Amino acid sequence: MTAFDVELIDIVKDFDSGGGRVRAVDHVNVQIADGEFFALLGPSGCGKTTTLRLIAGFEQPSSGRVLIRGRAMEGIPAYHRPVNTVFQDYALFPHLTVEQNIMFGLQMEGVDKKEAQKRALESLEQVRLPGVGRRRPHQLSGGQQQRVALARALVKQPAVLLLDEPLGALDLKLRKNMQVELKALQRDVGITFIYVTHDQEEAITMADRIAVMNQGEMLQVGGPKEIYERPGTHFVADFIGETNFVDGTLVERDADGFGRVKLMNDAVIRAQLSHTLAASDGPVLVAIRPERITISPANAEPAERGTTSLPAKLVDSQYIGTDTRYILRIGETIELVARLQNLDDRPKAIFAVGQAVTVRWSDASTTVLDH
Amino acid sequence: MAQALINEGALGRNRRVKRLGRLCLWLNPLVAYFFLWAPILVLVLFSFNQSKSVASFTGFTLKWYSNILNNVVGAESAFSTELMLNAFRNSLFVGAIATAIATVLGTMIALSMARGSFPGKRLLDGLLFLPVVIPEITQAISLAIFFKVAFDWIHLLSGERVFPGFHTIIMAHVTFNISYVAIVVRARLADMDPTLEEAASDLGANPWQTFWRVTFPLILPGVIAGALLAFTLSLDDFVITFFTSGVGTTTLPVFVYGLLKLTVTPEVNAISTIMMLLSTFLIGISLALQGRGASRS
Ligand SMILES: Nc1ncnc2c1ncn2[C@@H]1O[C@H](COP(=O)(O)OP(=O)(O)O)[C@@H](O)[C@H]1O
Ligand SMILES: [Mg+2]
Repeated sequence: MTAFDVELIDIVKDFDSGGGRVRAVDHVNVQIADGEFFALLGPSGCGKTTTLRLIAGFEQPSSGRVLIRGRAMEGIPAYHRPVNTVFQDYALFPHLTVEQNIMFGLQMEGVDKKEAQKRALESLEQVRLPGVGRRRPHQLSGGQQQRVALARALVKQPAVLLLDEPLGALDLKLRKNMQVELKALQRDVGITFIYVTHDQEEAITMADRIAVMNQGEMLQVGGPKEIYERPGTHFVADFIGETNFVDGTLVERDADGFGRVKLMNDAVIRAQLSHTLAASDGPVLVAIRPERITISPANAEPAERGTTSLPAKLVDSQYIGTDTRYILRIGETIELVARLQNLDDRPKAIFAVGQAVTVRWSDASTTVLDH
Repeated sequence: MAQALINEGALGRNRRVKRLGRLCLWLNPLVAYFFLWAPILVLVLFSFNQSKSVASFTGFTLKWYSNILNNVVGAESAFSTELMLNAFRNSLFVGAIATAIATVLGTMIALSMARGSFPGKRLLDGLLFLPVVIPEITQAISLAIFFKVAFDWIHLLSGERVFPGFHTIIMAHVTFNISYVAIVVRARLADMDPTLEEAASDLGANPWQTFWRVTFPLILPGVIAGALLAFTLSLDDFVITFFTSGVGTTTLPVFVYGLLKLTVTPEVNAISTIMMLLSTFLIGISLALQGRGASRS
């Protein structure tokens, strides 16, 4: 037996749609460990739901294999798989009470009614929704229905819980609370969660590992920090958080994982190469997070080693609450955004728009990506 | 400024056109419903008329209603309460069996249309509406010919002679009722969220359990509505029944038609009024059930 709860081996899923063919999942390989909180992150239509449905057994892969707890799932229908789903729109049975909804799965296992009732009650307490057992789903709020859907799936004690944008329909405040609660719940029960979301912030704050998907492909799989700080592709860097992309030409690859990139204004900077960088020379993109850029007065003292320092002009600044965004221009064509936190004792405007400044960043906080 | 900003004349004209339009909108259903209901109102009215003639209303009476229940229909000997009740029993018998069969088959067709995928599904879907659109007389004649051909073949192959009777009427009623049931149940299924069935499967229910514990309870109002509609159509049907009936299978509408051939008596009005009330009641329940489905999901 492997230590993996779910393994997807070279999964492809094609749909026929109106004469054409849509590839919803494109050669996906991933292994998800027991007890992991695993997020599938990507824009709408990238194949997240389809991936989940392939694991649940509602769709069959066009090619490739799904293993759950080391067992091949080929030919095993959804009702025999040790996984449960929290559906995007909850899919609670409208003709049954909340309690009957939760008991449904247990009764299908042959658990007797008394026992099922007892476990349904416990399950409602687990999701902090006691006392609504006799109500019908439509008598509950969206947030409450969401908890019932969770209880209905958890009561089955599945090996893996699949959640398809479970908080998508909730308002922002409730969503934030539920994020914390769901994470705590997952830690308590120790069940593997595969959590679909298009919200990068949600994925970063909740998941142990994130898989970023686009157009059916799993572009990168890694911990939140790795995904944020070491994006492997332009898409990943762009989808997660705000990023500056600077065009340049790779002139040299060093042995230490860094390289030299010539920018449009002919300055040559040292920057860290992405692990997946294919180019050995030619056009590349340098990605720099706005919060990693600092601004100093023009002609400030020379930068220390491992830091890039370039003259720039402050073009604009925007106050956005926690931060201020500064729009900077290097030479004629390179535009950068820098973000500085608004710490309360800092003078309101250190730099005036139009002023010449020096921008700096650590070479290690850059990533060179294929163009 | 030579030109007025607002053209008062045009504005007034506009307002008048609008008012006229609103009046027409309001009158339109009144007129339409008048044409729909006037003949029926006349029928109901004259079922309470003192005089035997429909020339004028001479006073209110329940005489004709009591006559049909007490075996007295003036001088006409063709009528007897027993014959009428017998015809009514025949109607109920045909209606019940045809409805039961049509409901099961129609529901099955609706399910395979909504959930299945097979070649020719769209064509079949369209054909479902055929009995609704083709003239009843065409259907009646085609059924009569079909039964004749079928019975000839049976005679040829087995030497057995088969005659039309309840079985032919019931089969004929089933053929047109299937469509109505399927259409009503299908509408209900279209309203139902298909992820509910996936949720059941996800929770460990096999297809059989999923059907009986989730799908069926949710479409049940549609099934009942379809069955009530079928039963009503069956009770009311004259043309198809007339062409497919045999000896001793007179249903109530056929019986009423038989009375009319002899003479127009006010008793016919009374029977017709009762039949109409019964049908309206059943259709009312059917519509209420269909409406409830729509508003809940
Ligand atoms: N049953 C289906 N038939 C045809 N195309 C489908 C079907 N399900 C999904 N797709 C297509 O597959 C792609 C991925 O869809 P989905 O997995 O739902 O994306 P996501 O959940 O990431 O928004 C989309 O282009 C979608 O249109
Ligand atoms: Mg989706």
